[in-house]
Amino acid sequence: RPLIDRLKAAVHYTVGRLCQKIGEDHRREFSRQVIAAIAETTFRQCDVFAKDLEAFARHAKRSTVNTEDVKLAARRSTALSIYIQNKSEELTQEQRDLKKKGTGKRKSRDTEEDSRE
Amino acid sequence: MAEKDVEICFKKETISRLLSSFFNEDRTKLSGDATLLMAEMLKIFVQEAAVRSQKQAESEDCDQVDIEHFEKILPQLVSSLTGSTKYSF
Repeated sequence: RPLIDRLKAAVHYTVGRLCQKIGEDHRREFSRQVIAAIAETTFRQCDVFAKDLEAFARHAKRSTVNTEDVKLAARRSTALSIYIQNKSEELTQEQRDLKKKGTGKRKSRDTEEDSRE
Repeated sequence: MAEKDVEICFKKETISRLLSSFFNEDRTKLSGDATLLMAEMLKIFVQEAAVRSQKQAESEDCDQVDIEHFEKILPQLVSSLTGSTKYSF
C-alpha cells in the first residue's frame, strides 16, 4: 500500500529533522536506528489518537472530528492539555483577525502544500 | 544552519491523511483546525521522546542517542501522554 509507505516516510523525515535539531542543541547525535524507532512509535501513536478522536466525535454524534475532540485526546497530560488549549485559542484568534480584516478568506483547510520531502 | 528561522513541523496534509487512514468509518472526517492541533501534538510527542532519550543517553555517559535509551524512556512517555503502556520494541 504505497500511500501508507509515503505517509510513513513523511513522518520519518520530520522526526529525523526534529531529532537532528535536538541532537545539535545537546551535542549528542541520534542514531539512524533510534530515529526510525521514534518514527515508528509516532506512526503507531497516530493510530491510537485517531481511534480516540473518532470515538469522541461519534459520542458527540458528529462525523467530523473537531478541536474539542483533540483536547479530550490530550486530557491525560496537564502540560499537553494546556499547550493544546493555548494553540487552539491561537487558531481561533487568527481566524477572528482574518475575519476582521474583511478579506473574507478563511485559513484554507485543504491547502495544496508543496510536498517535496 | 539557521536556528529558529524555519520551524520544523508535520505537514497538515500528511497528518490529515495519516489520521484518516486509521479511522474505522469512511464517513469520519477531520476538521482543518483539529488537524493543525494534532500536528502540534505529534510534534510534542516526538520532541518529548527525543529529549528524554537524549537525557537517558547523557545519564549513561553515551556519546550517541540510541535505541536502548529510547526503549528505557518509552513506557513512561506513553503513559504520561496517553495513560497506556502498550508499546515495546
